[in-house]
Amino acid sequence: MIAANKPNKIARYGMSIDLDRCTGCGACMVACAVENNVPPAHEGATARKGITWIRVFKVDNGEEGPARRSVFVPVLCQQCGEDTPCVHVCPQQAVEVDPATGIVGQMPERCLGCRYCMAACPYHARFFNWWDPQWPAGMEKTLNPDVAPRMRGVVEKCNFCHGRWHAAKERAAAAGKSEIEAGAYVPACVESCPTGAIRFGDLKDAASEPAVAAKDAHSFRLLEKLGTEPKIYYHSKRDWVRQVAAAPKPPNGKENARG
Amino acid sequence: MQRTRRDILLFMGGGAAGAMLTPAPWRLVTDAAIWSENWPGIPRPARGEITARYTNCALCPAGCAVRARCVAGQPVSLAGVAGNPLSQGALCAFGLTGHQLPYHPQRLKQGTPEEAAAAVRGAMAKCGAGESVAVLDLAPGRAASWTYRRAMAAVANGVYLAPPPPLGGAAVNLAKARTVLSLGAPLLDGWGTPGNVHAARANFRLIQAEPWESRTAALADEWLPIRPGSEAALALALKDPKTAPSAAQATGLTEKQILDLANELTANGPALVLSADDLPEALALNHALGAWGQTLVARPEVPVPDAWKKAAPERVVASVPDNSIRVLFIDESVPGSHIPWGAIEKKLVRDNPVVVAFAWTLEGYGRHAQFTLPTAVYPELTSDIPPAIDSPAATFRISVSLVAPPAGMADPSAFIAKAAGIDAGNALQERADAIHKSGRGTLFTYADGKSTPLKDIKPDAFWKSLNEGATWLGGAEEPLTRRRGDAEEIPGELPSEAPRLRVSASDTFPLLVAFTTPTPATLSSPLMSKLYQDSDLRMAPNTAALHPDTARASGITGASRAVLETQYGRCAIGVIPDESVPPGMLEVAAGPEILDICGAFTRAKVVAA
Amino acid sequence: MDREFITRGVKRCSGGKFLLWILPWVAMLIFGLYSAGLCLVKGLNQTNMDNRFAFGLWIFLDLTVIALGAGAFFTGFLLYILKMKELRAVINSAVVIGVVCYSGAMCALAVDVGQPLRFWFTFWYPNVHSMLTEVTFCITCYLTVLMIEYLPIVLKNRKLRDVPEFLVFEHELHKLIYVLAGVGTFLSFFHQGSLGGLYGVLRGRPFAFREGLAIWPSTFFLFILSAAAVGPSFVLLTTWLVEKISKKRLVRPEAMQMLGRISGLLLAVYVLLKTIDTLVWINRTSPGNGFPAAQYYAWHPFGTWILFTEIALLGMVPALILLTPKLRARTGWLVSAAAMACCGVALNRFVQTVQTLAVPTLSFDKFMTYTPSWQEVGTFLAVLAYGVLVYSFSFRYFQLFPDERELKLEVAQVEEEPALVGRY
Repeated sequence: MIAANKPNKIARYGMSIDLDRCTGCGACMVACAVENNVPPAHEGATARKGITWIRVFKVDNGEEGPARRSVFVPVLCQQCGEDTPCVHVCPQQAVEVDPATGIVGQMPERCLGCRYCMAACPYHARFFNWWDPQWPAGMEKTLNPDVAPRMRGVVEKCNFCHGRWHAAKERAAAAGKSEIEAGAYVPACVESCPTGAIRFGDLKDAASEPAVAAKDAHSFRLLEKLGTEPKIYYHSKRDWVRQVAAAPKPPNGKENARG
Repeated sequence: MQRTRRDILLFMGGGAAGAMLTPAPWRLVTDAAIWSENWPGIPRPARGEITARYTNCALCPAGCAVRARCVAGQPVSLAGVAGNPLSQGALCAFGLTGHQLPYHPQRLKQGTPEEAAAAVRGAMAKCGAGESVAVLDLAPGRAASWTYRRAMAAVANGVYLAPPPPLGGAAVNLAKARTVLSLGAPLLDGWGTPGNVHAARANFRLIQAEPWESRTAALADEWLPIRPGSEAALALALKDPKTAPSAAQATGLTEKQILDLANELTANGPALVLSADDLPEALALNHALGAWGQTLVARPEVPVPDAWKKAAPERVVASVPDNSIRVLFIDESVPGSHIPWGAIEKKLVRDNPVVVAFAWTLEGYGRHAQFTLPTAVYPELTSDIPPAIDSPAATFRISVSLVAPPAGMADPSAFIAKAAGIDAGNALQERADAIHKSGRGTLFTYADGKSTPLKDIKPDAFWKSLNEGATWLGGAEEPLTRRRGDAEEIPGELPSEAPRLRVSASDTFPLLVAFTTPTPATLSSPLMSKLYQDSDLRMAPNTAALHPDTARASGITGASRAVLETQYGRCAIGVIPDESVPPGMLEVAAGPEILDICGAFTRAKVVAA
Repeated sequence: MDREFITRGVKRCSGGKFLLWILPWVAMLIFGLYSAGLCLVKGLNQTNMDNRFAFGLWIFLDLTVIALGAGAFFTGFLLYILKMKELRAVINSAVVIGVVCYSGAMCALAVDVGQPLRFWFTFWYPNVHSMLTEVTFCITCYLTVLMIEYLPIVLKNRKLRDVPEFLVFEHELHKLIYVLAGVGTFLSFFHQGSLGGLYGVLRGRPFAFREGLAIWPSTFFLFILSAAAVGPSFVLLTTWLVEKISKKRLVRPEAMQMLGRISGLLLAVYVLLKTIDTLVWINRTSPGNGFPAAQYYAWHPFGTWILFTEIALLGMVPALILLTPKLRARTGWLVSAAAMACCGVALNRFVQTVQTLAVPTLSFDKFMTYTPSWQEVGTFLAVLAYGVLVYSFSFRYFQLFPDERELKLEVAQVEEEPALVGRY
């Protein structure tokens, strides 16, 4: 107990995503769903009602024909570090920032389902359970014991696989350490990325991959000008790709039903 | 003292007021909040001891190494095995959800093995001259495949059929390549072993010639948008610059672009040319570029016991005369290449052929077979996985059963061996022993990430390691015996299951079908709906994207459903208008229905539903 | 049959006619309750809201009716605190409108949240930084205040007055009315403001985000002002409607004109401040967040016309009409202007709720539209029907317009002077 009360190192976990490596395969999306007990799509679900804590968008440069180029952009909770838009709007403290890790956490069991936080989030990284979760018969055996499934009517979002953080903490404690070592805790999407495009670490640790990436001239964050200090850094050497960070451009009336 | 009713009421009132000053009522309210957190009907994850177990993914020929996180023995999540020399710790989306397949709602649970065996016996007895008993093996090269070949050798008129081997059976050595020209091959989207491809990616320049901006094209160093169906013309011109003018016309590229590309391939070698559907022109171009022995190599065979050598040869379906197969076994328990049912059906005898499919769902050939016998599915089944296309070395690894299959599952090799009257034995272990006897190569074990020379391992330990997650790698120093696909042997025309319609669009079937990969021929976990329903990252199975102009020309503007028609038949599909798909093309997310009517280079048309 | 319940000295239609009037509203209410029941039992998947359109028709409805219901607090404030005696003629009606609007909004909110059974969490685990906590607390308290204000109106019913205890209770309550008006005003100022603050604080939605004073964004004050401006207009509008439907004179023209004048005055101030706010937002706040304001209006159908309609057409124009004594004196102008003001505020609430969510924030977002499902429309209609029914019953059995009796006598006297009749 005394050891638990000792002031631990304060971490600021963050991520860097190399868009030049992302193939849009979707491994992160399914690994995330497996890890966090997100059920398969309900039969009535669409891309607008589905739950994808991390979602890969296909973004193009707006050109036609051979000049057209696309990039895949994985978007998850950007873990805003300043003025976190969703935290102060929640009427019943169901959203909080963990002071020890900087992770923006959501407590679905506290959530009223008012969806104010969803209106507040500019990244659309929050998802409402429009249905009760359903798994095909028997598949509930494959649920992760570290994460409680959510009922309908509550909001959920990426929490950097908080269950994994707890497990890493316990492993560290069992090994007699008070801190989680670098690399001992990574979210499921990071672990699953086949190309290693997603890297994870403590931004306060100058040697961690995201901290190094954050200083790169080709790095950027989405909607940085909002001043919410997101902790997800994107990286691309292609100039046009870095434009995805900025505000939307007015429409040009293209006919395309796919993202 | 006399107690009045008033006293009692006062006492109760005072008690209630006093209770408010104790934690009890507030605690109750807080607890009520906790109770409301458990909605009835929400499953509670089971708890138990957490362990790591290792296996190899059997969902495609890559056979990536897998670490399964198990709770009380039940896998709850899968991950790659870091340090694995081939799969490099990577798993694809299908592989990451493989542990959910046993609980797929469309899982086949019951069959009639006795009736099937009786029908097979009867039909085999009736099998006349010119007729045959055949096994169609969708994943050739396994120990079970050898059992089928032995069984078919033991049966009069026995035929062993398999899909044609990619690249004529050669293996790709990506590590040696400096320039890769991909003619529509989904190199960065499920081709070969994803981990291996991504590891090698930094060392070669990738040029993608493809009509639409696929995932590979999006990340290629250069994307050459060519006209649909002009891949062969481009390959020909790169080999023989004299044809460049006509190729320029066919592909829509400039002559200079083609000549520059030809120069680049020779100047910046070793080069490698890959194509979506094994174009013979691409193989010939590889030959001309000197890829053979460099980026394209003849992989040594994985040793087999000498007793197995009396085996039926591997043949392709097209080589069998029409209306000649009386008994056909189809093993689709391990997913592999799909052959349109139409191509198979015409090979069956006209009067009462017996078709027995071994499958874990009814979505495959089971829909056409008289008998469909349920089989175990990954990760229940135990099977070896043949070497991946991008492994220059021979490999042997076993997909280990992590979950006990349900009762009543059929074992295809035991069933077929029994029908043929041979003893299947423990083929897997026999083959492991044969490998061990060769004494070559090394064993990479997953739990400790160590490589050990095979000669330092005892046979029992070898077998045990293979069953706990390991890969045997035949060393590169091994003498190259039994070369296949040597320069002299390059076939002019590879055997194929579908006609190659590389001519200009026909009136009957004006559209060229291109598969968005990867789409396994079998069903995938319901959780894959995250990618195509809860988001629009990929298209749902049995869906096609087409240019709005194509949709208009096909008269399906505004509809979300249509009918896809090819020479093999028709099926209902979903359609999505998408300006990024070139006119004249259908970008198709395959599903069992579509695969049944589409093969390589299929031309099709869409009509209103 | 219900004669003895109807206020002495006023005339009400026959029971049968009344039944005929309420029947369609009851039918609408039943359909609406069925729709709402579906949403409660099966969940919000019955709606067409989604993760992008997290708020839809219902939040728009809530914001609008609460703004329109502001007449209750503001009329009370003017009457009891600022002593504008003319408004005594409409205060009861205003209170009923308030009760209807606020309780209707609360019911719609209860359907709108995903876990209605957890409504008390907000009181148990309040996040004091959240505008929504402020709204919830204030609205709950204010609804209680409104109910207490409504009680004397009910207890004054002819039949209920027969119970002496009720009469005493009503008398005691009435003494409290100044306190209630004060508390109600305070609460209302706060929650109207907080409702505006709901959107103004959304740093992540540059379309809605506004700078302001201390912790309150400018929308906080604009919502108070717009609600105060439109409340009297809505009271005016309903009074006129009730006069038309019941074919009776209920209030004196002076009271109506006073409502119009107050509305116009506040509306003018509101339009001025809203214009300044919009200019600051276009030139400073939004570009500062990296969002050029012009692009918000490039997503059709939300062009700049919506800004013009909201501020000029449905703000400035009615304000000018209501501030011009000549025009205000003519019923047609007065009522039209009041209706325009109400529409203007409704449009403002629509822009805040719907346009905020429809315009993209990420560069690769799509502009989205949303059509409410029939269950959502049904629930919306239930609130409407509920309001009409509560008001109809209140009008029939309680004395909503104290001047009605006198006006009836006046009408009888001047029956020979048709020029005056029908003016109201």
